[in-house]
Amino acid sequence: MKMFDAPRVFAFRNGSPQLSDVAVWLIGMFVVFLWAMPFIWMVSTSFKLPEHVLTEDIEWLPRVWTLENYRKVFEYPVLRWGLNSIIQATVSTGLCVFFGAMAGYALARMRFPGNGLLFALFIASLMIPAEVTVVPLLLAIIKVGWASTYQALILPTVANVFSVYIFRQFFLTFPRELEEAARMDGAGPFRIFWLVALPLARAPAIAATVIIFTLNWNNFLWPLLVTFDESMKTLPVGVAQFAPVVGTHTQLEGFSVSMAAVTVLSIPSLVLFFFLQKYFIQGISQGSVKS
Amino acid sequence: MAEARQIDMPDHVSARLNMGETVRIDRIGYAFVAFFTIPFLLFNIMPVLFGGYIAFTEWSIIGAPQWVGLDNFREALHDEWVINAFKNVLFYGLIIVPGVSICGLLAALFVNQRWPLSSIARTFFFAPYVVSATVIGLIWVWLLDTQYGLINHYLSYLGISHIKWLTSTEWSLVGVSIASIWWDTGLAFILFLAALQDIPKDLIEAARVDGANKVQRLFFIILPLMRPVISMVVTLQLISTLRIFSQVYVMTNGGPAGSSASPIHYIYQAAIVRNTFGYASAVAIILFILIVLITVLLRLVVRERA
Repeated sequence: MKMFDAPRVFAFRNGSPQLSDVAVWLIGMFVVFLWAMPFIWMVSTSFKLPEHVLTEDIEWLPRVWTLENYRKVFEYPVLRWGLNSIIQATVSTGLCVFFGAMAGYALARMRFPGNGLLFALFIASLMIPAEVTVVPLLLAIIKVGWASTYQALILPTVANVFSVYIFRQFFLTFPRELEEAARMDGAGPFRIFWLVALPLARAPAIAATVIIFTLNWNNFLWPLLVTFDESMKTLPVGVAQFAPVVGTHTQLEGFSVSMAAVTVLSIPSLVLFFFLQKYFIQGISQGSVKS
Repeated sequence: MAEARQIDMPDHVSARLNMGETVRIDRIGYAFVAFFTIPFLLFNIMPVLFGGYIAFTEWSIIGAPQWVGLDNFREALHDEWVINAFKNVLFYGLIIVPGVSICGLLAALFVNQRWPLSSIARTFFFAPYVVSATVIGLIWVWLLDTQYGLINHYLSYLGISHIKWLTSTEWSLVGVSIASIWWDTGLAFILFLAALQDIPKDLIEAARVDGANKVQRLFFIILPLMRPVISMVVTLQLISTLRIFSQVYVMTNGGPAGSSASPIHYIYQAAIVRNTFGYASAVAIILFILIVLITVLLRLVVRERA
């Protein structure tokens, strides 16, 4: 893909650069640095001693490096919140990608009455903002006694239409011969899907997985609403208590501890993004441009 | 040609093209779609219908629902906090939507030059988009701190005295908007970048040969070609801004004095703090109607001008 050609570092494209280009480049790279600055400041603050945080002059590096803030963060049930987040995000993403692959495959490859209608319903549902469904869903979940449970965190997030969409687009261009060959060998539809179609759908599977995992990992409103027990909170909702306006006991900890907490929280999504950037970007531009 | 077509089309379409062949129906298809469709109907569709019902009732967690007709809607339209929240969200839209679109466009134009280090630039411009609202909110609460924050520190060099970004009624909405622009620009940037790379190179080259300078090429060729994606980004961003919640919750919790509260923040409070579920649903439906109206209006405006 052209977007990911490595640019020739330290060489302008058309021979010798113009002075104006160099100036624009310098300004641009300065803005890039500004854009990264909040992250740098977050990490730097998280390693400072609390008494070195509120300074009149900006100190980019800690005077003394300390892990004390991280230790304090883990005095809160951060490990438990992390575990909840991992369970919620992996189970929900796994089900969503697998069910989405099955549905996308059927919608693209099989003829049955209602096929087109179902797909239209999926796409139309994208118009409904989650916030309209959230209040009645919460009421229903409370009524059936599921508040603060894993099923309440997981099940409502499983049916993400993006997954169906990305697999359907992929399977529309899937060569028919492969399926035919398997059918000749006597394979049933499930075997064909499992052994022929799915192994070849690596690209959409990875794209759907990283994007939906990130959405689940970062999901805020629903876990905030449905978890009343401290021990059932997810990481973003739990860590939000380090914000001065949200937490009552946590706000005494100050900025060095809250920056340590958000550093911990942001690492999984940033690491995932740095290594699988290409899939993120491809998936997102494909998903939105075409719908 | 016929063969190529067969590959590109869904079976139910190509079935009609091959008139000779008998139409086979894959009943097994229902089993394949069922796994996704059941949670979809239960958790995505049913709540919409259920919500449409409870908006007409008075219902808290205990007790049975009481049918109250349009009372919730009537009350909401006269509730000064609801009106305040909707007014705020329009200001959020006026700041965040142009902010994100312009930052995203400039960033995409810059990265698309493929100058040295542009892949690093791409990573950095997109990175904030992948972290959660909690991360965005807490970082910016610290950056925008009145006394010791980085932003006020550097603004003081420009002779701007300490601004109470998040703790004054005049600035809280702006403070939250700045953080939101930093968070959301990544998506606009990636969509613009993808569109820029789809512009045929020879078109730009032809304009260059005809003597168009860079600015002319930008305004007369590149931007007009990007119109569809610009209108898409504006629409997507507007919808997502009308639904602004998490960063508001983390950074100001709607305050001070409701000056940064958004409709979803109000809905959250009505449901969770006051347990008035029927009323919360009614406000959610009003928001939904507003979103649909604005989207349709925007579509019409774009089509009119095209």
